[in-house]
Amino acid sequence: MLELKRTLDAKGHGVLEMPSGTGKTISLLSLIVAYQRAFPLEVTKLIYCSRTVPEIEKVVEELRKLMEFYTKETGESNNFLALALSSRKNLCIHPEVSSLRFGKEVDGKCHSLTASYVRAQHHSNPNLPVCRFYEEFDSVGRQVPLPAGIYNLDDLKAFGRRKGWCPYYLARYSILHANIVVYSYHYLLDPKIADLVSKELAKKSVVVFDEAHNIDNVCIDSMSVNITRRTLDRCQTNVDTLQNTIHKIKETDAAKLREEYRRLVEGLKEANVARETDIYLANPVLPDEILQEAVPGSIRTAEHFVGFMRRFLEYLKSRLRVQHVVQESAPQFLKDIFEKVCIDRKPLRFCAERLQSLLRTLEIADIADFSAVTLISNFATLVSTYSQGFTIIIEPFEDRTPTIANPVLHFSCMDPSIAIKPVFQRFQSVVITSGTLSPLDIYPRILDFRPVTMASFTMTLARTCLCPLIVGRGNDQVALSSKFETREDFAVIRNYGNLLLEMSAIVPDGIVAFFTSYVYMENIVASWYEQGILENIQRNKLIFIETQDAAETSMALEKYQEACENGRGAILLSVARGKVSEGIDFVHHYGRAVIMFGVPYVYTQSRILKARLEYLRDQFQIRENDFLTFDAMRHAAQCVGRAIRGKTDYGLMIFADKRYARADKRGKLPRWIQEHINDGSLNLTVDEAVQLSKHFLRQMAQPFRQEDQLGLSLLTLEQLESEDMLQKITQIAHQT
Amino acid sequence: MTSLSEEVLLVVKKVRQKKQDGTLYLMAERIAWGPEGKDRFTVSHLYADIRCQKISPDGKAKVQLQLVLHTGESTTFHFANESTALKDREAAKELLQQLLPKFKKKANKELEEKNRMLQEDPVLFQLYKDLVVSQVISAEEFWANRLGGINNTDPSPYNNKQEVGISGAFLADIRPQTDGCNGLRYNLTADIIESIFRTYPAVKQKYSENVPHNLTEKEFWTRFFQSHYFHRDRINTGTQDIFSECAKQDEKGLKTLVTQGVKNPLVDLQSLEDKTLDEGYGICTTQPSTSNANKSVKDSSNSAIIKRFNHHSAMVLAAGSRRGELASDQASETSSTDGNSRDSDFFQPPVKKVKLQEAIEFEDLQRENRPKTVPLNLKKSDRYAHGPVPLQSQQYTTSQDIINSVNYIRHEMASYKPSLTQVLSSTAATSAIAALSPGGVLMQGGAQQAINQMVPTEVQGELKHLYVAAGELLRHFWSCFPVNTLFLEEKVIKMKSNLERFQMTKLHPFKEKIQRQYLSTNLTGHLEEMLQTAYSKFQVWQTRRMMRKT
Repeated sequence: MLELKRTLDAKGHGVLEMPSGTGKTISLLSLIVAYQRAFPLEVTKLIYCSRTVPEIEKVVEELRKLMEFYTKETGESNNFLALALSSRKNLCIHPEVSSLRFGKEVDGKCHSLTASYVRAQHHSNPNLPVCRFYEEFDSVGRQVPLPAGIYNLDDLKAFGRRKGWCPYYLARYSILHANIVVYSYHYLLDPKIADLVSKELAKKSVVVFDEAHNIDNVCIDSMSVNITRRTLDRCQTNVDTLQNTIHKIKETDAAKLREEYRRLVEGLKEANVARETDIYLANPVLPDEILQEAVPGSIRTAEHFVGFMRRFLEYLKSRLRVQHVVQESAPQFLKDIFEKVCIDRKPLRFCAERLQSLLRTLEIADIADFSAVTLISNFATLVSTYSQGFTIIIEPFEDRTPTIANPVLHFSCMDPSIAIKPVFQRFQSVVITSGTLSPLDIYPRILDFRPVTMASFTMTLARTCLCPLIVGRGNDQVALSSKFETREDFAVIRNYGNLLLEMSAIVPDGIVAFFTSYVYMENIVASWYEQGILENIQRNKLIFIETQDAAETSMALEKYQEACENGRGAILLSVARGKVSEGIDFVHHYGRAVIMFGVPYVYTQSRILKARLEYLRDQFQIRENDFLTFDAMRHAAQCVGRAIRGKTDYGLMIFADKRYARADKRGKLPRWIQEHINDGSLNLTVDEAVQLSKHFLRQMAQPFRQEDQLGLSLLTLEQLESEDMLQKITQIAHQT
Repeated sequence: MTSLSEEVLLVVKKVRQKKQDGTLYLMAERIAWGPEGKDRFTVSHLYADIRCQKISPDGKAKVQLQLVLHTGESTTFHFANESTALKDREAAKELLQQLLPKFKKKANKELEEKNRMLQEDPVLFQLYKDLVVSQVISAEEFWANRLGGINNTDPSPYNNKQEVGISGAFLADIRPQTDGCNGLRYNLTADIIESIFRTYPAVKQKYSENVPHNLTEKEFWTRFFQSHYFHRDRINTGTQDIFSECAKQDEKGLKTLVTQGVKNPLVDLQSLEDKTLDEGYGICTTQPSTSNANKSVKDSSNSAIIKRFNHHSAMVLAAGSRRGELASDQASETSSTDGNSRDSDFFQPPVKKVKLQEAIEFEDLQRENRPKTVPLNLKKSDRYAHGPVPLQSQQYTTSQDIINSVNYIRHEMASYKPSLTQVLSSTAATSAIAALSPGGVLMQGGAQQAINQMVPTEVQGELKHLYVAAGELLRHFWSCFPVNTLFLEEKVIKMKSNLERFQMTKLHPFKEKIQRQYLSTNLTGHLEEMLQTAYSKFQVWQTRRMMRKT
């Protein structure tokens, strides 16, 4: 709280690491809301970004509790408006559209019902279907602001149904005047979406990125582009359709095209004005310089632009015909394209903008169909805009299957700061927080910002409810490690199996085991099956395994929880960096032990990663090994942290790799885990670990009441107000 | 003896037992063997008594079948008919295989029940020791009318017996053994078969389709073990395999499970991401979909293992909770039919809300709503667990009530004035005094009470046991009257001898012991009297019978 207050006071940015389950969300919310109430002019809005939909909903529910508390204590209801925003898929109430299963389908269908020209046509031809919810919202919804209150996704839907308004557009409209907005990272970080949704958010906002340990990858993902042969083929058909439409329009409605031409000559001045007056969030895909200029003449007419795209497409096709791996920088690529097909840098930069304009003019209903050409045009703009921080890699085949041609052009962003830079620049305070952010100093470096506060907090515990153990040896003294050389070693695999088997016999209810990669897990499971280890484990618990199919894994997860619930007990074999490790919590009996088999290093042979490491070394002076270890350890910490979600929860954390014992690895674990690893448990054998776990579990299984915590990790109001407690708190505050 | 009424299922001739030729009979409830040329059985076992049967290996010269009883004894039959020995043995084995499980359950249940009764009732246990272990009466006689009574009075524990789940590792329990000549032997028990059927309904269906007509049971299971179905790493190749269809069904089942989706939105990985990146953006593009076609055989066998493990666990779980699920399934069905057009929307929020609330609540931060309770501090928790029966539901009185009534009583007492003249009439009072003075009617009991203190407690205990035992025997004895069947006649004679034996082995030593300790001998007087009455009754009955006979 203290650190956060400092951050807000200084109007700067902060990095805070707080253990999971210690009320991270509620502390952030309560302080910022209080700040907002105290200085309504200083902080006008809180933008709370989280990672997954359930997490977003959780935040809103906690906020609801907070507001209820406010009304109870103050006796008056405050006029805060807080709402969650999510994609159309989660908010649509149109009976036909919302029954579609995939987000993309929903978006496309929605667009075909609500696009402006569709609605214009609807006026002349009432048989054309439109979305009645949107119509209703558009005619009356904007005049009355959403009444104050807390709106979760379901509340928005219910409200929308009652009024007959589209909840999605209502929410998007309402975030402009809401006091608190809760949504996913992508709405701020992905330039394509941010441009639509978050452009006009007030500058005096506080932005919180929760669960932000992966934020650099989100940034990079949102700026990277991959082009395969399939993309190009689809792009080709897109361009053909464009051509045909243009021909058709020319015959019927030439004025429309002329109008567009005029607009383009005017240039993007309006956008430029808006950005200068600080109304818009800058879009990294659309750099400042472009805005001051008009669209260059060579692509101003529609036919010319289509011809231009065709040429560009042919060039990309020729590039994909390579027989060997090519890696080059953006300037090299531009030089080459100029030499080969005479495409200048300047028109390339306007590609994305020009295409948007054309699609609008041509009244293309289904935007989703044109994703390929949009992708190519985005690529063109990006490659011509940024000479730094990006690399182009063309691989003619996959590494594992060198005989099958499957050329891919990776245009990969290596600098996460590009995507996040506008956010840091625009908003007065940005707080990055997570349960696992260690080592803290690396985030400011890779995201390129200067925080005013950086802090890592630990937990005050009435009992040591977490028990990290590092198992370095099997019972036969074979060193346990997932490193490449011993990966196929049967002794190691057998010992890993033994560890799981022994644990399955002593740990109650659920055990979650994480492997370093999916392939590794498949191999280990197969050889465990051959050796009969799995069958022995089945005697103790049921086994569920994560697969690459999300639906199958969801089912396995639910069954896993069911098995934990009815007392049979189960084991979930899962993968670090997988979906399970990122988004699912294993509270209480759903995860009494987490076993981390090996150190989850990223696949280092990938060229993209190599390029990124090189870039990090050159630009930020971060050594490759440091970054790799940091990356591995944050994922390991993320995995084991899944089991502890509060002070009444308890769980074993077993790191089954001798490399964890080394100081450089151990030192990168979060402080709240590190301080519970004692020197005795650095290099245990399986048997020793079992003994320690037995002891730990027996102790933890004793009843744990509120009174045990009082005064230690839980304070009553009287205790909080007492003199010596206040003294103690100030003492702690000064220490940090 | 009473074989006439029994149905004979199989007769096998030329079966040797203890080097004696004879005939083996398999009947509805027992198996029996009689030596050649005699019309009675020297060996007879009820099926319920048989624990298991064993057969000699195929290669051996002697074709034998061994029956192991629950008591641990065993009987071996040697099939001696040279030409058909093997066939005979197989026939007997097959029949036994079908018959034994039926009786086994009954036997097990009975044994369990008996055990339970003995453990729960120490008096009964003592009685059992006194009578059965010391071989006064046989165990069968002891249980004869006990079990029946109990079974009839409370059958409820049987009816809603808890459904037993399936061990996750039941397939692992079928340990293959090599039989020396390039073959594998699998041992299947009825339990395992049951588990397989419950977990994989498809196999059960196949079984009921094929087994009596197309395949024998043995062939069916042989194929089962050979199939890829059992070996989870083998990939389905042949189409002749009858189990390939099962696998397909399973796959279909798995798919429907997957498409059904999950009820708990917090674990639904598909809807976890709010905004997935559009195709073509992002770093990691080595999607498995592209490499699916060129996966090596090993890879796909690995993923088959994983899939099947998931499926297996799900099925085991489902089999365990099938019964409970029925109700909830119906509930969900009805609720989904309510809003069948847009059920997903009407149906989801409650689950979601509950889960969300669960996720954000910390129990240690909740203010406790319950009134403060004093934690129970138990020194010996087992005493608590096996303590006296719970109180019947009573009208509890509040402390205020108690205080009021105490006050009231105190008040009453304070103003109480005895009116002694009206308590008793004078004649009644004099007679009462006479009765209570030494030599009076009521004072005679005093001498008897004294015995209570005169006799040491151990003797008392022993006497008590004797009484119980004698009571039990006498109950058996008297229950035979009126003697109207042959069976009762036999029994009454036996009971008489039992009583005599009891008197000899138990009562007399006890009597002598008391005499040695110079205690008054009429301790056993009543017991002897009872026995005497029984004897005289027997005498009367016997003389009457003799008279009838002559």
